[in-house]
Amino acid sequence: MSEQNKALGDPSFAAETSPASPGVPMEAPLPAAPLADAPSHHVSTMDAGQPLQQPQALSDEGDAKALQQPAEEDQAVCTVQAQPGLAPPAPAQLVQKAHELMWYVLVKDQKKMVIWFPDMVRDVIGSYKKWCRSILRRTSLILTRVFGLHLRLINLHTMEFSLVKALQQEELDRVALNNRMPMTGLLMMILSLIYVKGRGARESAVWNVLRILGLQPWKKHPTFGEVRRLITEGFVQQKYLKYQRVPHVEPPEYEFFWGSRARHEITKMQIMEFLARVFKKDPQAWPSRYREALEEATALREAELTAHSARSSISED
Amino acid sequence: MQCGPRRMSVMTDVHRRFLQLLMTHGVLEEQDVKRLQKHCYKVHDCSAPVEKLEDFINNINSVLESLYIEVKKGVTEDDGRPIYALVNLATTSVSKMASDFAENELDLFRKALELIVDSESGFASSTNILNLVDQLKGKKMKKKEAEQVLQKFVQSKWLTEKDGEFTLHSRAILEMEQHIYETYRDSVKTCSICHSLLIQGQSCETCGIRMHLPCVAKYFRSSSEPRCPHCSDYWPHEIPEVFNPDKERESSTSKPNKTSSRSRQH
Repeated sequence: MSEQNKALGDPSFAAETSPASPGVPMEAPLPAAPLADAPSHHVSTMDAGQPLQQPQALSDEGDAKALQQPAEEDQAVCTVQAQPGLAPPAPAQLVQKAHELMWYVLVKDQKKMVIWFPDMVRDVIGSYKKWCRSILRRTSLILTRVFGLHLRLINLHTMEFSLVKALQQEELDRVALNNRMPMTGLLMMILSLIYVKGRGARESAVWNVLRILGLQPWKKHPTFGEVRRLITEGFVQQKYLKYQRVPHVEPPEYEFFWGSRARHEITKMQIMEFLARVFKKDPQAWPSRYREALEEATALREAELTAHSARSSISED
Repeated sequence: MQCGPRRMSVMTDVHRRFLQLLMTHGVLEEQDVKRLQKHCYKVHDCSAPVEKLEDFINNINSVLESLYIEVKKGVTEDDGRPIYALVNLATTSVSKMASDFAENELDLFRKALELIVDSESGFASSTNILNLVDQLKGKKMKKKEAEQVLQKFVQSKWLTEKDGEFTLHSRAILEMEQHIYETYRDSVKTCSICHSLLIQGQSCETCGIRMHLPCVAKYFRSSSEPRCPHCSDYWPHEIPEVFNPDKERESSTSKPNKTSSRSRQH
């Protein structure tokens, strides 16, 4: 996406006008840190409600008993069903299930479909539900080692997972296949606008910016197609944006917020870098936003370090 | 883990990035794959020399083997373009698609697949497929709905459409080759030249052997009088022009027929 810095004149966008940030409408990254856990222990995030981290052996002989302990009321994703006398399956079968689950997750992600835990159980894990924790753990491990992807539980309540790239975010740079992913630029533009505003961006404000780039709500675009559909449905369905009605406003108006996936995949610092590139300014031209981005970066580093030390204290396979 | 540490050491971030992007795109043409490979090197390991694609992929496949997936190479049946896709070898039935489609939709695909495999041309008409709507398992489906489901298959790259007729997308052939051989053992066709699955192709009117269009092009490349390799009768069809990577590299201007076949690409 070409950077037309001179044209992007939406005042709240091009320079910082909003006051010291009121609560930005996204959850602070820190509380999410226990969920956005470090690489190979995503299964442990599901224990968020459970008392202890039990060292997990990948063969389930000893695990079966441990898993029979009652789970927390509503928090545990793998609730155990009382099935006395059910012999644990052979390790090879669990391995196979892990491979099936890996493929399942990859296909879901490829099709930009939601990866929902109940679906995973229904479609893949099936009667092995009792061992879902070990299956999920192995799947996460394979995905990290072979694909460089993290299977992350992004929402404990809706039990949604997301595949997040473990490698450097390359989508911001020009992509290998002749810029065939311009969507990212469009998305970044909207996310940046929301971020700079410090609150939801009204649809009208978003279109002000997009119009300058030659995109119009009701006109089909050669690259993006039906833009309005893309941003109000496509990006929303992929959880990059939230599109909500503004309360108490007539005639009805809508606004955009960051979606949960954006919160997990895109850092505030990346937004600042994007803005800096687009407007050919120093990121510190948006001082309070830059400060926020720095804070988030520090918090993320700390979370990574904490998780790292926690990881080393739990037995690995 | 069945992948020993020795083999694991083959997987670097270059390979991981490659797999991620290949998966994202579903199926890619060879030149895009090469570009992708170069990009991955550039991003993660500028200093290393770019490995030959075949070796690069074989290395990756040695790691993927224990996971029952593979980077598989195929050739498009209509114009002989080499393509690559990450395919799952474990599930051999239509259940590969199961997570995306409802029971009646999967059954529609099975019916369409059967018609395609049985057909002479490798194509099944929309009408014939839609007429089977009443025989579908699961929830009752109207013809109008079935038309949309067929379009969903086209978008997901399981089928391609041409003039109201449907055939298998090259990606589907890559993924389902084994399943088709097993399920349609008696009616499945094979190419006499390359011996792999044949959906579309040309056939000898005398002895009935069949060949893929790209295989025909290659086999009869320098003959002025094409004859059937089996019965030596005159080959009754026009010898097609198919994709030649060397020609493409040599010519600096794009050929008109190449462009048109490209625009037909999905």
